[in-house]
Amino acid sequence: MAALGTVLNGVGALFLTHAVYSTHEHTATFATTPLPLDISLELLTSILLLSLGIVISFAPLKPIQYAQWAGQISREGRHGEGRYTREGEEILSEGDPYAFLGLDSGIGGKGEGRRGFWDVKGKRKEYEEWVRDGGKQ
Amino acid sequence: MTQANLLSPPSNIPPQTALALSQKAPLILSSSPTSSLPWPLSLLVSRETPETWTVHENLFFSALRTGDENSALALLQRLEARFGDHSERIITLRGIYNEATSKSDADLEKVFDAYEKILRDDPTNMSIRKRRVAVLKALGRPADAITAVTVLLQHSPTDAEAWAEASELYASMAAWGQAIYAAEEVLLITPNAWSAHAHIATLHYLSTASNNPPNLSSLALSLKHFCRSVELNDSYLRGFYGLKLITSKLNGVLSDSASAPNKRTTQDDDDIPVPSIETVKKLEEIATSKLAEMVRQFKSGKKGWQGYDEAEVIAARELLDRDGKTER
Repeated sequence: MAALGTVLNGVGALFLTHAVYSTHEHTATFATTPLPLDISLELLTSILLLSLGIVISFAPLKPIQYAQWAGQISREGRHGEGRYTREGEEILSEGDPYAFLGLDSGIGGKGEGRRGFWDVKGKRKEYEEWVRDGGKQ
Repeated sequence: MTQANLLSPPSNIPPQTALALSQKAPLILSSSPTSSLPWPLSLLVSRETPETWTVHENLFFSALRTGDENSALALLQRLEARFGDHSERIITLRGIYNEATSKSDADLEKVFDAYEKILRDDPTNMSIRKRRVAVLKALGRPADAITAVTVLLQHSPTDAEAWAEASELYASMAAWGQAIYAAEEVLLITPNAWSAHAHIATLHYLSTASNNPPNLSSLALSLKHFCRSVELNDSYLRGFYGLKLITSKLNGVLSDSASAPNKRTTQDDDDIPVPSIETVKKLEEIATSKLAEMVRQFKSGKKGWQGYDEAEVIAARELLDRDGKTER
C-alpha cells in the first residue's frame, strides 16, 4: 500500500507542478483571456491523486472505541517499530497507560510494583537467590 | 515477551531480564552523553536526547538490583552532574542507592533517619515520603508502612499510585475492607483503569474466599467489577479469568440457594442486587469462549496475539481444563 501511495503522490505532485507552471505561463502571455479548461482539469486531477495518495499511505488508524483500543494494547503487547535511541534501545509502541498503578501482577504478585515505592531490597534478594540457585529459568 | 529494553522496561522483570538489562551498563557508560566543552559550544555538540536520561535511570535501577554498585554509582554521578544534587528526583535516586548498599537493618534505619532529615528541610518532597514507605516495608514493618502511607495520602489525596500502594499493603495484612476502600479511591482518580477494576474485584473475591458459604454480595460486587474491566478492555486476560472464576463459583452458590429460597432472601440484606442464574450462565459462556480464543491464538503463535504473559495464558488454560473435567 505504501508503494502505491508513493506513486500516486509522485504523479499528483508532477501534475500539480505542471498545472501551476502552465497557469503562470498562460497568465504571463495572455493576461486578459480566461484560463483554458485543460489546465483546470489537470489541477483538479492532481489534487484528487494527491489526496488519494496521502490517504492510502497513512499509518493504520487507532481504534476509536476505548475497549477495542485497550484490547489491542493487551493483545499485541509492546512491540518495536524499528526506531532506536542513540543508546541502541528500541522505541516501543504504546503500552498500558495504567501500568504506573502497578496493579497488574495481582495481590502479592512478583511484578515491579509502583515506581515511587520500588522495593529495592526485595528485588536484590530475589536476584541473589536466583544466582545462588544456579541462575536458570 | 520480556525483552530487555531499558527505555520502557516490562512491568514484570524476572532475574534473567534484570541481568540482561544491567549487562548493557558498560556500553552506555563508555560514551558520555554530555560534552566537556564550555557552555555555548556544548549546546552545539551535545548528543543527549530526553530518552538518554530515562535509559540512565532505568539502567541505574537494574544495576542496583543485580548488585553492580560501581556502575550504579557512575550512573548516579552522571545524573547528579547533569541535574544537580538538589533535584527532588536525584535526591530520591541517591536515597535508593543508599538503601540498596546498606548491609544490615541498622544501616537501613540510618537511611530512614536521613530521609527524616530531608523531610524536615523540605516537607513537600513526595518522592522521599514514598521512599520512607518502601524502607518501612523492607524493614518488615507493614503496620508502620501503612501509617506512613496514610499520612502521605492526607497531604496528597489525589495520588493514585499511593492509594494503590495503600490498597496492596492493607491486602497483604488481609484487611480487606480497608484495601477495598483504598482501591475505590484509585477508581475515583482513574475510573477507566481496567487493572484497577480487576484489582478491586480480586479484593472482593478474596474477602469472601475463605468464608463458607461465601458472601453473596461480595461475589456479586466482584462479578460487577470484573465485568467492568472487560467492558473497558475487550481482550483483558485477567478480567476474563476472574469473570470465569466468579461465575462458576456463583453458579454453584445460586443453584444451591435456589433449592432453599428462604435462605437467599435473608442473606442479601445489602442493596447489591444478586444477578439471576441465567445472567451468570451467559457471562460464563462469554468468558469461556473468550479465554479459549486467547489461549488458542497465543499458542498458535499468531501475530498480534503475543502480548500476553505466558504464565497467565498457562493459568487460563488450566482453569479451562479444570472446568472441562468437572462438567464431564
